[in-house]
Amino acid sequence: MAALYRWNFAPVFENAEVLWAGALGTLRLFAICVVLGLGFGLVVGFGRHAKAPWIYLPATAFVEFFRNTPVLVQILWFYYALPILLPFQISPLTAAALGISLNSAAFSAEIYRGGIESIDRGQAEAARALGMTAAQAMRRVVLPQALRRMLPALTNRGIEIFKMTTLASAVAYVELLQQGKLLASLNFNPIETYTVIAVVFFLCLLPLVQATYALERRLGRSDA
Amino acid sequence: MHAWNFAPVWANADLLALGLLNTLKVTGAALAFGVPLGLVLALMRLSQRRWLAWPAGAVIEVFRTTPPLVQLFWFFFALPILIKVEMTPYVAAVLTFSIQSAAFFAEVFRGGIVSVERGQWEAARALGMAPRQVMRRVVLPQAVKRMVPAFLERAIELMKTTTLVAIISYADLLFQTNEVAQKTFRPLEVFTVTALIYFAVIFAASTLVHGVERRLAASGEGLAR
Repeated sequence: MAALYRWNFAPVFENAEVLWAGALGTLRLFAICVVLGLGFGLVVGFGRHAKAPWIYLPATAFVEFFRNTPVLVQILWFYYALPILLPFQISPLTAAALGISLNSAAFSAEIYRGGIESIDRGQAEAARALGMTAAQAMRRVVLPQALRRMLPALTNRGIEIFKMTTLASAVAYVELLQQGKLLASLNFNPIETYTVIAVVFFLCLLPLVQATYALERRLGRSDA
Repeated sequence: MHAWNFAPVWANADLLALGLLNTLKVTGAALAFGVPLGLVLALMRLSQRRWLAWPAGAVIEVFRTTPPLVQLFWFFFALPILIKVEMTPYVAAVLTFSIQSAAFFAEVFRGGIVSVERGQWEAARALGMAPRQVMRRVVLPQAVKRMVPAFLERAIELMKTTTLVAIISYADLLFQTNEVAQKTFRPLEVFTVTALIYFAVIFAASTLVHGVERRLAASGEGLAR
């Protein structure tokens, strides 16, 4: 091996504030997408659980469409195609948040539906027999138990959303990877910059991943 | 109101078709390398020897917990400087997605292998088979059958992930879409058609997977994740 590459992380750390701005952008996008994605997913999940076809069918179409197309295509569609139908421009943040949130809503809807359907029907019936309305039975009896079972799948979704935020760099939204691209091209040091970015993501996500494993083990022990 | 006009899209159908072909090419190549590598990683991780299990675990965790786009950038922009080789977008994409999907496939393999009851292993050992023979003749054939649904789902995920190569300018379906959109000034129509192409291909694949899943469930197999 001729002339080993000499690693030099100093230029990366000298520009730490550039990466910090990116990290804030990543966190902002992540927060928006978790709230909108998991929140709207619950609504769609109920829709998939409903009996009335005018609720069930659109919810199913939504889930199938967004689960079966790549999220990057969705983001670019919202960024380049949607503004043509609208009288205003769409910012990179809006396009990325729409794409990632709707995609996550479709995936989490299936988690919610699976969780709700995993609770024995007898429980909802018993709650109804005690005089609760369907909504009360869902809120007081079914959901609290279902949510516990869904927790590992939902934290996994959260991890996926965090990783997906990097796709926002494709529409030039200021997040970690986008700032990394900037630094790498300014300082000609892609090795150190992208290594630092990868390590930052790894360190941010590792605790979440470990927590998910722990949750899975705990649930595996306490009930099936 | 926007007047939809799909004629410019049809006029460039050959470019999109080439893009779809390239998407399938990257997916196929990443699968061809990723699946065997995933099996190797799974067997290493299950090994009693620490010096085998530990590195395999590290590779799996790192590639599962970092964003695929960051990995792709690292392999495309950083690795060529480090080892002084020419890197094409295609090679970078195949390299990244092979290792990345191998990390996920490894967990599917591991789940399948672990799901085979311990008694079977002990029985096969008692019949005089070597550990390697037990794995090949008894455990893997059953495990593979259980892994099929999770495995196919991962392959579909992989195809969706390959859209990232458009960002490093490999001419996949998404990249070609962008080119056609810029050429024809019809981003709405072009991106909509592309979304529908992806939907058609991936939905067909998922429907097939669900069919296989039901068949396996009916035959009393399946359920390994």
